[in-house]
This record gives sequence, C-alpha cells and structure tokens, in this order.
Amino acid sequence: MGLPAAWRYHWNVDLLGRAALRVNRWLAQRRGDAGWNSQVLAPPLRVSAWNKELIARHYLAGRYANGYRKVAWVTSGAPVELLKALDFYVLYPENHAALCGAGRVVVEIASEAEDAGFSRDLCSYARTDIGTVLSGKTPVGRLPRPDLLMACTNICQTVLYWYRVLAHHFRIPLILIDTPFIYTEATDHAIAYVRRQLEEAVEVAEEVAGKPLRMERLREVGRLSQRASELWMEIMERCRHRPSPISVFDQFIQMAPVVEMRGEPETVDFYAAMLREVDERIARGIGVVKEEKRRLLWDNLPIWYRLRYLAEFLGQHGAAIVASTYTNAWGELARMIDPDRPFESMARTYMHPILNRGTGEKLALMRRMVEEYKLDGVILHSDRSCKPYSIGQIDQRDRLIREVGVPALLLEADHNDPRAFSEEQVATRLSAFLEVLGLA
Amino acid sequence: MTQALGIDVGAATTKMVAVDGEGRLLWHWLEETEPRIEEQVARFLAAAREALGPLDGVPLIATGYGRRLIHQATRRVTEITCHALGIYRELGHGGTLVDIGGQDSKAIRIGPDGSVVDFVMNDKCAAGTGRFLENTARRLGVGLEEMGQVALAATDEVTISSTCTVFAESEVVSLIAHGVGVPAILRGLHRALVQRVVAMVRTVGLEPPLMLSGGVVRNPAVCRMLEEETGHPVLLPRHPQLMGAYGAALLALAETGRRGDGENTG
Amino acid sequence: MKPAVTIPRRSEVVRNHRQAGGAIAAVLPIHYPRALLRAFGFLPVEVWGPPQVDTSYGAAHLQPYVCSVVRNGLSFLRSGGLDVADLLVVPHACDALQGLGSILLDFIRPRQPVLPLYLPRGRRESDLDFLAEEFRAASQRLSEITGRVPSEAELLACIVREEEADRLLAELHRRRTELPMSDLAFYRLVRSREYLPAERFAGLAEEALAQAGDPRADGVPILLSGILPEPMALFEALEEMGGQVVADDLACCGRRLYPPGSDPDPFRRMAQRILNGPPDPTRGSPIEERLAHLLRLAEQSGARGAVFYDVKFCEPELFDLPDLRRELTKAGLPSVAIETDLNDPLSHQTLTRLEAFLEMVEGARGKGQEV
Repeated sequence: MGLPAAWRYHWNVDLLGRAALRVNRWLAQRRGDAGWNSQVLAPPLRVSAWNKELIARHYLAGRYANGYRKVAWVTSGAPVELLKALDFYVLYPENHAALCGAGRVVVEIASEAEDAGFSRDLCSYARTDIGTVLSGKTPVGRLPRPDLLMACTNICQTVLYWYRVLAHHFRIPLILIDTPFIYTEATDHAIAYVRRQLEEAVEVAEEVAGKPLRMERLREVGRLSQRASELWMEIMERCRHRPSPISVFDQFIQMAPVVEMRGEPETVDFYAAMLREVDERIARGIGVVKEEKRRLLWDNLPIWYRLRYLAEFLGQHGAAIVASTYTNAWGELARMIDPDRPFESMARTYMHPILNRGTGEKLALMRRMVEEYKLDGVILHSDRSCKPYSIGQIDQRDRLIREVGVPALLLEADHNDPRAFSEEQVATRLSAFLEVLGLA
Repeated sequence: MTQALGIDVGAATTKMVAVDGEGRLLWHWLEETEPRIEEQVARFLAAAREALGPLDGVPLIATGYGRRLIHQATRRVTEITCHALGIYRELGHGGTLVDIGGQDSKAIRIGPDGSVVDFVMNDKCAAGTGRFLENTARRLGVGLEEMGQVALAATDEVTISSTCTVFAESEVVSLIAHGVGVPAILRGLHRALVQRVVAMVRTVGLEPPLMLSGGVVRNPAVCRMLEEETGHPVLLPRHPQLMGAYGAALLALAETGRRGDGENTG
Repeated sequence: MKPAVTIPRRSEVVRNHRQAGGAIAAVLPIHYPRALLRAFGFLPVEVWGPPQVDTSYGAAHLQPYVCSVVRNGLSFLRSGGLDVADLLVVPHACDALQGLGSILLDFIRPRQPVLPLYLPRGRRESDLDFLAEEFRAASQRLSEITGRVPSEAELLACIVREEEADRLLAELHRRRTELPMSDLAFYRLVRSREYLPAERFAGLAEEALAQAGDPRADGVPILLSGILPEPMALFEALEEMGGQVVADDLACCGRRLYPPGSDPDPFRRMAQRILNGPPDPTRGSPIEERLAHLLRLAEQSGARGAVFYDVKFCEPELFDLPDLRRELTKAGLPSVAIETDLNDPLSHQTLTRLEAFLEMVEGARGKGQEV
C-alpha cells in the first residue's frame, strides 16, 4: 500500500468527499419536493438523497481506490461477502452500466466497444462496460482498475464471456463461480460443486488481497448482508398496501445499495430509514400514483433510459407498477443465508436466484406475486440484451392470460440501449394494454 | 486505343469503363441496372464498340452485385478489390475508402501499395446503406436528388435514435405527427446514416486520408457530415461512381500485361 | 470430384436403427457423452438447426433475438421432424439452449422425455468431479426411462468404441488435404459423425484414410472458425472462388476432437474427454487458450487467413471475436467475420465478403513473392 495513495484516499474520500456529499444531501433534503412537477406521481422518497450520497461516495471511493485498496469487479449475482470480508473495494460493472443508462450516455460509451468490433447483438451492459474500459468514458469520473475479477454464472453465461474479455484486457485473475442451472431442482452434486468453488475462491482472493480471510469477519458481513436483504424484502412487501406507497420505479432506483453495498452497516441503516419512510406514507395514505386504479407486475430488467417516461405514461391512466420479479430477486434469497454456516448457505443461496431457475419457476413466482400483491396485469419486458430472463416469456405470458386470468403484455425493448427502443411502438402497445385494463 | 474494359454491375447502376495501355480512362457508360442484366450488358458492349471500334481480344473484368451474370467477362473480381485499385490509381495513395451503395456499404483500408489491408461491410440490417435514406425520404415526399440539399439547409436537427430501418421509419412517422419539420428530420436521418457508416470505418480503423466513392457522393450532406463526424477531410475522385469499373479495367489491363493475351469479349 | 466413400443418409440410418429395435436420442449442440447414450441403446442423432425449416413454430415460443440454431431446432421438433426420437437431450451450451431446455421441460412438454445436461465452464478438478456426477445422474435418469442398467464393463466398451471413432475423426482432420475429396465431401464425411453409430463411422473413416495420397493445394488455404458450416454449399462456393479449408475450429467439427480418457471410472473418463477437448467458448475457455489454439492450427495446416463464420446472436462466439481477430492480425493471420442465419441461403453479400477476403489474402501473397 502506497502512503501517498492512502493519504489521497483519506483526504478525498473520508474527509472532503464525505463532508461535501453530506452537505449536498442535507441541501437536497431541505429543498424537499420544491422542484417536483408531476401531476400524477408522488414526489421521490426523502431517503433518495441519502441513496444518492451513498452511490456518489461509493464511486468516489472507487476513484481513489487504486494503490490504497485492492479492487474487485464482480457480477451482480456474485458471492460478494467473501470479497467484502477481505476489504476489497467492490465495483459492479452492471450497476455502473445501468447508471450510464439512466444518465443516457450509453450510446456514446457503447459505440466505443462497437467500434472495437463488439457486435451490437451483445448485451448492452457488457458493451457499456467494455466501452468504458476501452475509452475511460464514464459519468462517475473514473473507474478503478481491477486487481481481481469474479464472475458468477447464476444470472447468465454472458457474464462469463464478458469477464473473459476483461481478464484478457487487464491480465488479472478471474474467479469463476459456476452455478449449474436448476432445471427442476438443485442436485446435491451441484451444491457441492458450488461450495467447493467458493472455498477455492477464498485462496485466490486471499492471495490478491494479501491477507487471510477471518471467519468472524465473514460471518459479520454475512449478517449485514442478510439484514439488508431482509429489510429490502420488507420494503417491497409494503407495496401490497393499497394504494402502494412506492412503485417499482422507486425500487429500481433504491436497489443500488442492496446490490453493490451489501454487507456494509450503513446499507442496513439506509434501508431501515427507507422502511420507516414507506410506513409513514402508508400511515398518511399516500400512494405513489395519486389515483391508483390498477396494479401491475413488471418482469425483467428495467428500461433504464425511460424510467420516468414509463412511470408517467402509466401513472396518467391510474396504473401503478408495484412489484417486479427483478427487484424481488435481491430480497427473496435473504432467508437462505445462514451466517453461521457461510459456505454451505452461500452455495445454496447463490444457486437460487430466479434467473438460475427454470422458466416454470418464474411463472410460479409471477403467479404468486399476482395473488399476494393483488395485481391486475403483467408487463413482461422482452429484453433483447438478456436472453435468460426473456426466453420463456412468450409461454409465461400465455399461461398468465389463460390460467391466471390476468392481462399480460410483452414489451420489446432493451435494458440499456435506447437504439433498440421504439417509443412510438411502445406507446401504442401500452395504450392498447391500458384499454384492456379498462383504463382508457 | 482501348486495351482493357471493366464493368461494374451494381444494385442501382451499371457502369462500364475502357482504359488505354497506360490505364487512362478513355470512355465510360452508366445506366440504371435493369432486371435483364445480360441484355443490358450486350447493349453496353455494342455502345462501346460504336464509340471505340472493334474490341476483339480486349479483356473484360466484371465486378459488382451482378458480376456472375456477365458471361463475356474474362474474370470476375469483387468490388472491394476493384474499388481499392480504382481509387488508388485515381488519387495516387492509400488510406480509407468509404463506399456507400444502395444495397451494401463498405469501408476499405488500402495500404500504401494499393492493396486491400482490411475491409468491412454493413451487416444484414440496411441501416448503413443508401436504402435507409431512400426509404425514409420517400415517406417525407422528398426526391432523392434534393434530399441532401434540404438536409444541409435545415436549421434544426432531430436525433433519430433507432438505427433499425423499420424503427427509424416509425420514428419518422411519429416526428411528423408531432409537427417536426421535414428538413430537420432529413438532417437527422443523414446523421444516423453517417454515424452508422463511421462505426464501420472505426471497426476497420481509420487510416487517413478518408476517401468516398459511390453514387452517394452526389449527396452533399453525406460528404459534409462524414467530415464532421470523423474530423477528417473527405477526398473525392473525379468519377466517384466509376471506381469499381475503373479498377476492374485496370486489373484486366494488368493481367494482359502479365499473360500477354486476352480473351475475346465478342 | 466424386466422393471417395459412400455416406449413408441420415434418414436411412435412423430408420435402420429403429427397425433393428434401437431407440433414437435427438441431441442438441454441442458437447455430450455419446457412449452413455449408446450404453442405454440410444443412437444419438444431432440436431444442428437444421437449416431451412418453417420457423414459425419456433417463433411461437422464442423471441426474434434467439439464434437460428435454437429456433430451428425447436421448429423442427414442433413440426414433427423429431417424431422418430424417443429422447431429447439438451446440453447446456449457452443461455439460449438453457432457455430451450427449460421451456421444453416446463411448457412445451414434448412426447419424449427431455434430458438436460449442465456443462461446467472450467477445467478445474472441481469441474471434472461435477461433470462426472452429472453424467452419473443422467445415467440414473436413463435407467428410469429405459428400465436398463448397463454394467460398468458395457459402458466402458461403449466409451472405447467412441474413442476409436474420435481417433479416426481426428486423423481425418489432420490428413484432410491428402484425401481425394473436395471440402464439401470431406465435411459430409466428418459430419456424418453427427448421426452414424461410432462403429459405422469408423469403417467409413478407415475407408477414406486408405485412399489418402499426396497433399493437394487447391487454393488459398484458410482456417474456418464458428459454429457450423451451413449451408454446406459454402464449401462449393469457396472452392469456386479459389479457397480451400485446411483446418477448422467449428463447434460441430474441430472443437469436438476429444482425446481419449484414462480414468478407470467410466463417468470420470467421459467427463475427462469432454473437458480435455480443444478450447471452446461455450465451455468457458479463456481467450488466450483459443488464440494459441488457432495459431497452432494455422501453423500446422499452413492456413493464411481465418474465416469466422458465426450464427447471428451467438454470444459465446461474438464476445471473443474482437480480441481474437486483433491478435491474429498481429500474428500475421488476417481474418474476416461473417454472420449467418440458418434460414438464409448464401447471400450475395456473404459470397462477396468471402471472395474479397480471398483476393486480399492472395494479393498479400502476390506481393510477398515479388519482394
């Protein structure tokens, strides 16, 4: 560890950065709803300012991490607890890409990857990340160079191809946690396989970190991680309330900490505060859509570059999307984590995200959510960039209509690339769907 | 006197060129490609004979989309190689050549000796080809000849985010419905086309100077925007549409020199 | 050129096998244990697409951005093309095949039992252990389906037979230019491994190898990489424009030249063979390994250019392309990338790209010789 690097890190992140971001948050909270101009949607939660602070501080720490802390780049479904317990600075290229999507800079950044020969048919997250790697372009200033990569195939195989490209580019070790897809149920040999990879990953990560893993620390991180996920689940479950206090669009924005800052104490505090605020809304009878008439389910990743547009479009007609299989994924596994049996429970947990289970399981989940959240319709975002999430949707939609009796819409788009989004086509489909829901 | 002939049967136009022993362009002919290519080529050859005298023993190389249909040809060579040869002879240096055709577009990197170093063509989608402009311009009721001028004269420019031709068309429809002016839309369409072409150029690696050939050269907006988007001046040959046929003729000439004979073009 | 050996047609092989009381396993790409299926009496018949089917059947279940190999496979099944099959095997080669396996099990539920197989993405000891167990579990499932329990000796005999066929397959590949057959005939022969029983394939291979003579050099030597060479008219077109395929890194061909195994346990031996096969992005091979493999192939075969012939939307292939192509160029091996769809005939543009590429490689050689 270089002393100047440590000094720079503490000065910029812990002193100046922390203070400046805290002031920012305080100012934002004081401004409150002053700038809010929507007629149909409730203003953002007050904790949004805290969320912004957390994210800004996270990327600021990343900016000064090289030379002071070891840096790992990981996939969104990776068993990050191991790396957190070894004090890695952990970056999520998927979250960074989503941030670029919401900030509408994807076309410029992804073009850098496309110019280098990466096909436009590849995942738009991957193209965004590779574009940043090749050009240095990012809205967060600078991404730290990784010392270690960790790819877990529990969300797709795409991440492995993508991380192979990163490993080749940076010439650094890549830890692969291969989680066999669960067609029907998880086999013992598959769980044993994942567990063994986790144990072997520790050796590689320890070597890069230059220090041994302390089990007590791993258990602590596991507990914090579990607590954050539980709180997240509780918040989402509050959307069963009618009118729903928040929408999935709020969830999409507020989920960043439970993904990329899981295992940190402040993340737990943040979600505890968020839960209090959501409860306050319920107590005061505030709904996210001012006149909630219909409640919908969202399947698949968000369309990051059109969140506000979709929320407004639906909200105008009294439709609120109150649950999603996507945000649910970071809460539903919480109960599987057992801090006292970290490897065993991590193996099971990380094999079971919805994306690593059969298409019938996803239908069952949607069916359950429709019931529990009392939903009137389902929007299935057919995401060109995410095959594991999207394949099966045609049959799922068919069953939802025929067997569950809810209207369901398949909406063709892409989670991060606006060039694959036709606003005119989307508007027509959504309008027709709203008519089916009796909202026209 | 005519030493070699080249013919380029493109998706939109067919071109024939005759060169003398030094490779100088003696004569050329250009028509829109007709469905009956064989008959059209026979007519081209008749026109050539009328202008140049008997062509017995003069070699002919065919290139372009319809090259396989030219049974009179000594040999068939792709338009990639021919364009590179033609432009190299015409401008006297290598660099990066962009050719935007009706059906295909390509970026060709040409070495300092005139050889093809690398090339790319548009993928299956038509977004980077002339057709992209034509289809959408038709919807706007603007003629092919004038659309470049109209686009350049526009004071506003809208962003056409979709690069898919089908999506772009629906985007245009929606822009019209929202009352956006035709010139601004046209300008946006040109920009989308050029950006797609520039993406191809970057894939192959831009080695200056940047050169442009093909019928699209007549569209001033494409040239201007190509310069804006790449930051490089665009060099144009004297006969931008003839580079493929010219290259074919040059190749035929080089081969006569090598073999010392030529086949009968009839 | 006349084919040097007569290759039985797929439909005829399937019919004969069924008439003799055998069962058919329709197998999707890419890697799977042939010996295991044979030990239970199934003849594996592979389904790579096939090209030119009515894709509307697949479109009823799969979005347009799913590749044509998977879409056509499903279309073929739904249109009755696999009615002769008694079992469907769906190896987990990629996200698209994962999805196909899953919707078959959960929604489409064909008449035949569906057996998915997960392939680990590494070459570690843990991957070997897992794959062996995965095969053991598959064996259990096959026992339930067929009511048979082959002995270890029977299974080993099947493995040995496959190893012999694969040894001959590798020899065909190695000595391809010595064989008196066109590229098209060669690929018809090696691809008959996709449906012939190992012992019949071995016979054909020996027959072809017996006719080996002086190496032929018919054109610009190229290395063909990608998933599968469809339409097969590709080879005629290449030949016509002066190219010759001298080596391949195709998923259906060169990436399945499995070396023999050595483990005494039959399940581990089958796993070992697949994991020790040539580098393959669908098995998680690092880019460096693929690069070294391609350079070695080019060096051994004398290939002077590489053609990446990929199916549109194929992520495992497309991710590696930029790095592979850049570094091959650096090493003096130019390349061209072509995207195909199984339902398209060879397009004019594809032919032009190939031809222009051969002219480019040829031109470079011309210059080289003059210097």
